Amino acid sequence: MKAVVLAAGEGARMGPFTASEPKVMIPVGNKPILEYAVEALVENGIHDLVLVVGYRRERIQSHFEDGGRFGAHIEYAAQGKQLGTMHAVWEARAQLRGPFLVVNGSNLVDAQAVRDLLDAGEGPAVLIAESEAPEKYGVVSVSGQYVEKIVEKPRQPEGNLVNTGMYALDASALPVAESLINEGHYDLPSLVHALAAKARVRAVRTKGTWLDALYPWDLLKLNAHVLNEVGDLQSGTIEKDVTLRGKVTVGDGSRIRSGTYVLGPAVIGKGCEIGPNVVVYPSTSIGDNVKVQAFGVVSNSILMDDVILGPHSTLSNSVLASGVRVASNLMASSARADAQIEGEWHVVDPLGALVGEDTEIRDGVAIEPGSVVGARCRIGPLARVRGNVPSGTNVM
Amino acid sequence: MCGIVGYAGHRKALPILLDSLKRLEYRGYDSAGVAIVDGSVQIAKDKGFIANLEAVVPDLTGSVGIAHTRWATHGPPSKENAHPFHDCTEKLALAHNGIIENFSDLRDELKARGHTFRSQTDTEVIVHLVEESYKGDLAAAVRAALARVVGTYAILAVHADEPDTVVAARNFSPLVVGLGAEENFIASDVPALLKHTDRVLYVMDREIVALTASSVTITDLEGRPVAREPQRISWTLEDAERGGFEHFMLKEIFEQPQAIHNTLLGRMTEVDANGFFREGFRSVKLVACGTSYHAALVGKYILEEVTRIPATVELASEYRYGPVPAELPLVILISQSGETADTLGAAREARGRGCKTLGITNVVGSSLTRETDRTMYTRAGLEIGVAATKTFTAQVVALYLVAIRMGLERATLPPEEANRLRDELRALPRHVQSVLNQADAIEEVARAYAGARDMFFLGRGINYPVAMEGALKMKEISYIHAEAYAGGELKHGPLALLTPETPAVAVAVRDRNFGKMMGNVGEVNARGSPILGIGTEGDKDLAKFVDHVLWVPKVPDVLYPVPVSVLLQLLAYHAALKRGCPIDKPRNLAKTVTVE
Repeated sequence: MKAVVLAAGEGARMGPFTASEPKVMIPVGNKPILEYAVEALVENGIHDLVLVVGYRRERIQSHFEDGGRFGAHIEYAAQGKQLGTMHAVWEARAQLRGPFLVVNGSNLVDAQAVRDLLDAGEGPAVLIAESEAPEKYGVVSVSGQYVEKIVEKPRQPEGNLVNTGMYALDASALPVAESLINEGHYDLPSLVHALAAKARVRAVRTKGTWLDALYPWDLLKLNAHVLNEVGDLQSGTIEKDVTLRGKVTVGDGSRIRSGTYVLGPAVIGKGCEIGPNVVVYPSTSIGDNVKVQAFGVVSNSILMDDVILGPHSTLSNSVLASGVRVASNLMASSARADAQIEGEWHVVDPLGALVGEDTEIRDGVAIEPGSVVGARCRIGPLARVRGNVPSGTNVM
Repeated sequence: MCGIVGYAGHRKALPILLDSLKRLEYRGYDSAGVAIVDGSVQIAKDKGFIANLEAVVPDLTGSVGIAHTRWATHGPPSKENAHPFHDCTEKLALAHNGIIENFSDLRDELKARGHTFRSQTDTEVIVHLVEESYKGDLAAAVRAALARVVGTYAILAVHADEPDTVVAARNFSPLVVGLGAEENFIASDVPALLKHTDRVLYVMDREIVALTASSVTITDLEGRPVAREPQRISWTLEDAERGGFEHFMLKEIFEQPQAIHNTLLGRMTEVDANGFFREGFRSVKLVACGTSYHAALVGKYILEEVTRIPATVELASEYRYGPVPAELPLVILISQSGETADTLGAAREARGRGCKTLGITNVVGSSLTRETDRTMYTRAGLEIGVAATKTFTAQVVALYLVAIRMGLERATLPPEEANRLRDELRALPRHVQSVLNQADAIEEVARAYAGARDMFFLGRGINYPVAMEGALKMKEISYIHAEAYAGGELKHGPLALLTPETPAVAVAVRDRNFGKMMGNVGEVNARGSPILGIGTEGDKDLAKFVDHVLWVPKVPDVLYPVPVSVLLQLLAYHAALKRGCPIDKPRNLAKTVTVE
């Protein structure tokens, strides 16, 4: 069986984290979100994957190549305009024969979720899961074990079972998709409705993992989830008087300097320099080539590749994108915060700072909880940052 | 990355295995080996290319065998550490991909029981464990051995007492069976099988496969049979390897953030070069050919800027037959493949003269590593496109690292300056990414210039060799005649060639030469030639004096060659694409020049 993995979207609501990367390539637990879906499929014996790519497709292709490194064979289909999920599957039509699965590459799914869908048997199916925020998804009404209807983002949800965006379909549905597209329908739920009108579409409930990152702070939730599975393989150099508690992975060529205290789960990538005297609390992911200098305190945060966090910095419930450089004494602590993304306000508890790639932060900067700093900003010494700072801004 | 293949059938196994190994060649390796059941179990292996192995392997006629390409993890690349391995009885041969985590405990235990280890690899413990468990059933012996092993593996084994069978096992490392007619294949990856069959069975974790010409039996680690449906492969080899990109060159251009990242990884703190640079030379000579020569030219500026030690550059073919001055410089030899004939000759010549030598190469265990005192590896991964892209920028990055080490050891670079430069280097993959993010804008400009017959590339200082590399890329893949000049040289002749039909590309970034470069832009402008300016983001002046402008991010002066080169690669690529040129295989050119 094949699987179509949808990975074309930009993820505009991910704020500054999609400046160079498509949403599916944002790392959690030091791996792109998409890699978890690929692994879940391969683990279920699905090796032939079609990745539908669009925004910054090269980033995906450079990482996954032909799939050999992941035990998969990957082909790519280009979606020029990201019109919708059915349109994305339609763009992969040349590579589809017989039954196939559809997986949303920007969701964190595990092998159990894939298995539940595979075990549902023949015929079309939609994987559904319980959600705490059904109003943000397609709410699925089920009768027996079949889909009755899917209502997109209802104000008053009639239940908490939502569409996970994972489907079992067959190439025979493609002509139906084509006619729907010609009528201006581009999303898979409309295909499900059309199929359900003729035959029955199974609603398969999963107890497996299905987590969605709608907003940047959701990355911390995904990160904490995947870090529960982290191993404790330590390579590199761990100096004397370093304490590693719980599951802590340290990559090749990294050096953890004296007096550093790491409480797992935590993952530290390759070629990092941590310490001396740094404290890392759970659940923290530190990418490759990252420097956390003396007396830093980092908790429940994501530091992507090539970040430099200068001495005496405090960071909690925060995300620093690749290449962020902090001179020293950053104060980015967290609290219940109001954060604004794409003009909408959200209350997040707790939240620290969200900082986009290659932003340079000089000495002694304080970032208030919930602030979103764009990519390639320059924040001058002793500045106090509140609210949203658009990409490329110089803050004096 | 290791590759592994096995065959059980009616044809001669050796040529099939070697050919299949070559299909996995593009993933990179440092040694190769093969074991054939031919009455007894015969092993042939060697360090280096599969071609080296072909040269040493005797003509084995058996129709069952296994083969392996190795990428060193435990133990350096060498003939002894190449797979497959014999057990003590030499009846068993086994090859392995993956890493055995508890190998040192197991090795001590096996040594205590009298086993002889012939390599430094982790794999050999499995060989002896299988040997101990073997009681006439190879699959059962492999199963028993694996019960003791912690780690990742794809294993292939053959035994003289079961001459028809190849046994395989998998945990995490990929393994796939190819089904033929009265013959069966097994490999770590589908490309190794595609020439022979498109029907495959994927082996899952913790499964054992017994393969003969007429049967494939899959069992789990408890020995229970597993049913598996064959699948049909519907794709071709070439498509697979390009991973969704239209050309290898484009794939490799876009791999540069990762290649640079890998070249830097783990070496930022490597300040102790054991004093290699501390003494024994007063100047440096960089020697190379082709694109590596351009990296060497950039290297001259880097070394002189960072270390203040005088540096000169020579073409390998000129150096090796040139005069022998009295002074003995440190000679740095640069070759992507490590097999370039002239560069190897130059390395021998430099040693003969009594110079200290340092090689910079992308291929582990290549000849250059044997011809020089020290080797620094670029970790760009295999490059297939004939036009060098990611290996060029990785060479430049390696030269930054060499310069930092040399400056620290010679105390000509203060440690805090070294730290600052390292932090800037850390950001380099990001800067390259930001150039790649403008691929659409670069394509649009390239299309506008693709009709030119001649082009000029201008740069000053460290960006002069970058202009030369830009011109070389343009020549070799788009077939546009392109010449590079140092800005100051224009008035000494080349101005006579400028017309409205000869576009010029001016590298006019905001470094210390910006003012002078703008003067040259004015000179070109006055002749009516269309000008593409390469400027620094945020520059408000450049756009007023040029017809097109493309941007690179602001970096310290010495780092501009990397983002500017990437931009010029994309420019050449899109010009060639527009002109319909065979980008990955330009006429008359070979990837590795092993002739003089």
